[in-house]
Amino acid sequence: MELLEQISENLQNGFDEKVALLTKDAVERQIPPEEILSSGLIAGMNVVSEQFRNHHIFLPDVLLAARAMNSAMEVLKPLLIREGIPIRGKVVIGSVKNDLHDIGKNLVGILLKGAGFEVIDLGNDVPAEKFISAAKNENAHVIGMSALLTTTMPVMKKVVDLAKDEGLYGKVRIIVGGAPVSKEYALEIGADAYSYDGANAVETVESFFPVNS
Amino acid sequence: MRSIVNFASEDVFIDRASILSSQGIPEDAELSENFERIYGEAEELFRELAEPAGILCGVSTSQFEDVFRGEGLNEPSNPVEDIYRKSSFLALFAVTLGAVLSESVSELFDNGNYASGYMLDSVSSFASDKLTELAAAYLESVLAAEEPVPSSMRILSYSPGYCGWNISGQKRLFEVLRPQEIGITLNESYLMSPIKTVSGVLIAGSGEIHKFVNSYPFCDACTTKSCVGRMRKL
Repeated sequence: MELLEQISENLQNGFDEKVALLTKDAVERQIPPEEILSSGLIAGMNVVSEQFRNHHIFLPDVLLAARAMNSAMEVLKPLLIREGIPIRGKVVIGSVKNDLHDIGKNLVGILLKGAGFEVIDLGNDVPAEKFISAAKNENAHVIGMSALLTTTMPVMKKVVDLAKDEGLYGKVRIIVGGAPVSKEYALEIGADAYSYDGANAVETVESFFPVNS
Repeated sequence: MRSIVNFASEDVFIDRASILSSQGIPEDAELSENFERIYGEAEELFRELAEPAGILCGVSTSQFEDVFRGEGLNEPSNPVEDIYRKSSFLALFAVTLGAVLSESVSELFDNGNYASGYMLDSVSSFASDKLTELAAAYLESVLAAEEPVPSSMRILSYSPGYCGWNISGQKRLFEVLRPQEIGITLNESYLMSPIKTVSGVLIAGSGEIHKFVNSYPFCDACTTKSCVGRMRKL
């Protein structure tokens, strides 16, 4: 089996150590990093996404594949940066101020990384100002916020308002999610999108980046 | 009545089918070897790390009225207000699976064991609900020890943040219940720690008092709709 196919297949099976080894092997064989990424890793994740959408596999399987993807990216990322190959997009994520729930936010981050995005995870209990400064400093394309409490949701609006004040609004897309958050709330505060789960968050972020951009 | 109760992790563990169903997995689904391994590990970790405990405190209707009023932010019309006024007994409660379990979930995520972290979190979420049921069963046993309990009596829990009871009600509830004694704390946005903790009031009374039409203005925004299943069981 061709090496890139092996990478893809092992990634689908969630064999992270094997995927990392095969990726190193591919680098040593002078396969361009961009090709390893697109024809090995992203190709594998695309199969995983499809199987997940069709309920042939379930979230824990996807998370294992995402871990394998991450282990390969540890190998590839320095090469991609060195060769100036643009990343798919950069997303700043966090659970808003006073909210310590982070499982949903973590899942979004893992799945975004698995889909090839660079994720800056600010953690939980993140003040509005920190979302904005991180988006500026990192030249992020997207800010993703999670809230699990009705009492912490207003921080999301504060981030949108700060983005407007700082001239980021419209340039950096803002996506919100979490149990008490809704599509209507996202519209009301001026966020660009609402996502109801991790997989949907990835689809939403992907929609911000047209294939040929 | 004021009691601190320790439960066995065996007693709060929920059956596999319910946990898988909560993840949107049909009963007849064919699961991968990886999935089975991760589920088995999560089950083992849960039994090892969960430290289920609860605190209950009986209150009079007028005492609860004060707790329920909280910061004065409740919805003007809500089912809890109608239900507690018809109750035969009220007890504030808080139950937790303990800090170690929550820390373990975080550690698994931090170490890149995402699937295991997710599975342990999923198992723990279900167990929190079961723990609330155990607290209700404990209260029933306490009441039954004092005098015969009518067969029509049902004890259901109601929590701040749901059914029109504003989440800020946690503040007054904590002042009266003092669950800090079993390691439960509240932050300024009314979030409890450890994360896998449930608090509220256990309302005892005839099954009929717990029935209501879920057409309050806030019901549309409710994502759980758990009242439907609860009322069906009455």
